[in-house]
Amino acid sequence: MRKLLIFISVFCFITAWGQGKDSTFENANAAYNAGQFENAVILYKKILDNGQHSAELYFNLANSFYRLNQVGESIFYFEKAKQLNPNDQDILVNGAFAQNMAIDAVEVLPKSQITQWKEKTIGLLSQEGWAYFAVFLIWLLVLFWGIYLWNKVPFVKRTFFLLTIVSALLLMGSLSMAFIKSSNAEETTYGILFNQKIEVWAEPNSRAEVLFLLHEGTKVQMLDQLQEWQKIRIANGSEGWIKNGKVRSLKGFK
Amino acid sequence: MKKTFVTVLMMMAIGQTMAQEVSFEAKVSKRTLGLNERLRVDFIMNENGDNFNPPSFKGFRVVGGPNQSISNSYVNGKRSFSKTYTYFLIPTQKGALTISQATIDILGEVYKTSPMKITVTEAVEVPRDPNSPEYLIDDNLHLVAEISNSRPYLNEAITVVYKLYFRNPLRISDGRAVENPQFADFWSHNISIPRLQVEDGTYKGEPYNVVVWKKSVLYPQKTGKLTLEPLTLSLVIDLPSNRRDFFGNRILQQSTRSITAGRSTINVKPLPEEGKPVNFFGAVGQFDFDALINKKALKATESFEIKLKVTGNGNLKLFNLPELVLPNTLEVFEPEHSEDVKTTLSGMQGSIEDNYTIVPRFQGKYPIAPVSFSYFDPKKEKYFTLRSSEQIIDVYGGPIANNSNENSPIVSKQFITNADESFRFIKLNSNLEPIVKKEFWNSKLFYILLITPLFLLLAFVLIVQRNRGISNDVEGSRLRLANRLSKKYLGEAKKNLKNKALFYDALERALYNYLKARLKIKTDDFNKDKIAEFLGQRKLEPQEIQFFIALLENCELARYSPTTDVKMQQDFDQALSVISNIDKKL
Repeated sequence: MRKLLIFISVFCFITAWGQGKDSTFENANAAYNAGQFENAVILYKKILDNGQHSAELYFNLANSFYRLNQVGESIFYFEKAKQLNPNDQDILVNGAFAQNMAIDAVEVLPKSQITQWKEKTIGLLSQEGWAYFAVFLIWLLVLFWGIYLWNKVPFVKRTFFLLTIVSALLLMGSLSMAFIKSSNAEETTYGILFNQKIEVWAEPNSRAEVLFLLHEGTKVQMLDQLQEWQKIRIANGSEGWIKNGKVRSLKGFK
Repeated sequence: MKKTFVTVLMMMAIGQTMAQEVSFEAKVSKRTLGLNERLRVDFIMNENGDNFNPPSFKGFRVVGGPNQSISNSYVNGKRSFSKTYTYFLIPTQKGALTISQATIDILGEVYKTSPMKITVTEAVEVPRDPNSPEYLIDDNLHLVAEISNSRPYLNEAITVVYKLYFRNPLRISDGRAVENPQFADFWSHNISIPRLQVEDGTYKGEPYNVVVWKKSVLYPQKTGKLTLEPLTLSLVIDLPSNRRDFFGNRILQQSTRSITAGRSTINVKPLPEEGKPVNFFGAVGQFDFDALINKKALKATESFEIKLKVTGNGNLKLFNLPELVLPNTLEVFEPEHSEDVKTTLSGMQGSIEDNYTIVPRFQGKYPIAPVSFSYFDPKKEKYFTLRSSEQIIDVYGGPIANNSNENSPIVSKQFITNADESFRFIKLNSNLEPIVKKEFWNSKLFYILLITPLFLLLAFVLIVQRNRGISNDVEGSRLRLANRLSKKYLGEAKKNLKNKALFYDALERALYNYLKARLKIKTDDFNKDKIAEFLGQRKLEPQEIQFFIALLENCELARYSPTTDVKMQQDFDQALSVISNIDKKL
């Protein structure tokens, strides 16, 4: 009898724990809907601290920050959400609202047709997607080749030879896509600026001239670092150094 | 008494007649005098002369003279004559001075006076005649510059008031400023006085009439010692003289007097560096700051205004208002600056404001960042920072701005939303997944999955190639086929190669079994004719059939006849070749 009781209580505990995170999410949503955005932020962050995330979670968190008029945080989490789910309309619309709150308007550098095409292609699948696709293709390739070798009917043989070549090309393509994507992700780090206002200098020392000013919520690409100076590039291609800037990197999910 | 007087007179006359010589001498009023006293020098001669040549009066300044006087007197028929040149001198330096010789030409001869030594001492206090006009003016007329603060901070207002004090019996009939001070290094404002008015006042505890001549408000623009230039007035003063008119009233006498005041040094302190706010623009005084927004919510493309207003007391005209920092998507026009400042003796008072007109183009929430305004209060000697409250402008009903420069590769995806796009609600499905996800790319599994098919393919290719090689090699393939068949049917026979009876039994059984399996013949009707018939149906050569039958017969025969091991082996090989031959044909 006692054993049964313990078993039931343990079972209840496990189920409660298992549902705990989801219920936190629901509690946070309820808090958001009730207008208690601070509470919502705390609850959403709790989920993050538990090591779980999703585009939806980041989106909700960003919305809460938007409601709290915290530009930098809001934009930061919208970007996070976009990383996980780049094509979600809700994220794009609300992200644009958050961008409106930011002080800097950085005009995006126009891109050439080729770069656009290239980025579109690379963006068709995520890095993982490309990897899975490559594996799928190599199996397909082997299958086709096997059929080609096995079969003796000339027409079938010709068809499968062609199919083999096509899949080989696709394989090479998808492998290089995955490779480009991973090296891109490794080399370029984006961050969101959290300083209310910061001067961007031409050189990493105070004798240089101030090129321009940036404000909270601007997305910057983080380049070199020299002591307390950080080289940044903004979307319009301008580069410069900031001193002791508070830039939160978008890389990694933390 | 009278007698003695007469005698003295007589004697003097005698003496004079006795010394009826020409004399020319110099007399001074005193030998020792103060620097501020005057000296009278008389040059006296008793005969008329020409070409009087006064000395140079080195160390003195001639303030009067030469005055000439001549006296001619006859006493008892005796003529006495004297001619005097009088000079009034003021010493210009202290010490022992010499009045050198004067010369004159009398009756053709040149006479000289003897040089005289004069000692000039420090200025002495001269009791002055209270009735002299100078004294009266000095005593009863004062020009005073009142400076409110001689140690102000930079940009702190100070006032300079020039007051003219006078009292009876003086009356001022006219006055004008000879020299008006130019306040260099100051921002100055003269408070205009429409009419000079005489008021009652006190000067050093005594009642006086007061005229405020000039009022100035100054804001020092430089630190350090700054000099105020003096104000010089030229006044025409009426004052009573000693003379009286017919009715016994005193006759007024006019005199002009220049009077100067206000030369002073002002020590301007710099503003303290300690605690100086970053956004300090030089405002000094007591201020109040506010940012006023006339609308909190509006439609896109409507305009609203933000007014940055500073009111108070201080150097209002001398600093700039802080700049408004606004989100980029708002269209902001140049601010309109307006001032409503009155300058009084206590400094500038009023308000200045910057009026921004702003047109939001897109809908959304726009935070108006708090604007901070810092000033220095010279009274409390502290900096103060005032901050306007942060406000949010809610703009509805317009297109959404598209400046979402996304991280994702799908960049510059034009993102067109309809005009009444609104802020979307949160998502309700969590779809949570662990943050630390194993990446498939670059993982072991990925490489294994990538490489395995290649090996599979290789293996496959090898197998196919081997198959092809087998079909090409005829002899070998026959051998292999025979091996296979022998293994299948002749296995038992091969085992019994040593035992003759068992061997032939097994061989015969094997042959029958083989035929049974290949030709699907039932065991019951199994004889040699039938076998030959069946095999003939299978288009076998009659020779081969013969061969097979012969082998079967051989088996039966060999069971009962002595045979050698060699014969057995021969028979086995023959069976093998027959089977494989038939197998190929079937």
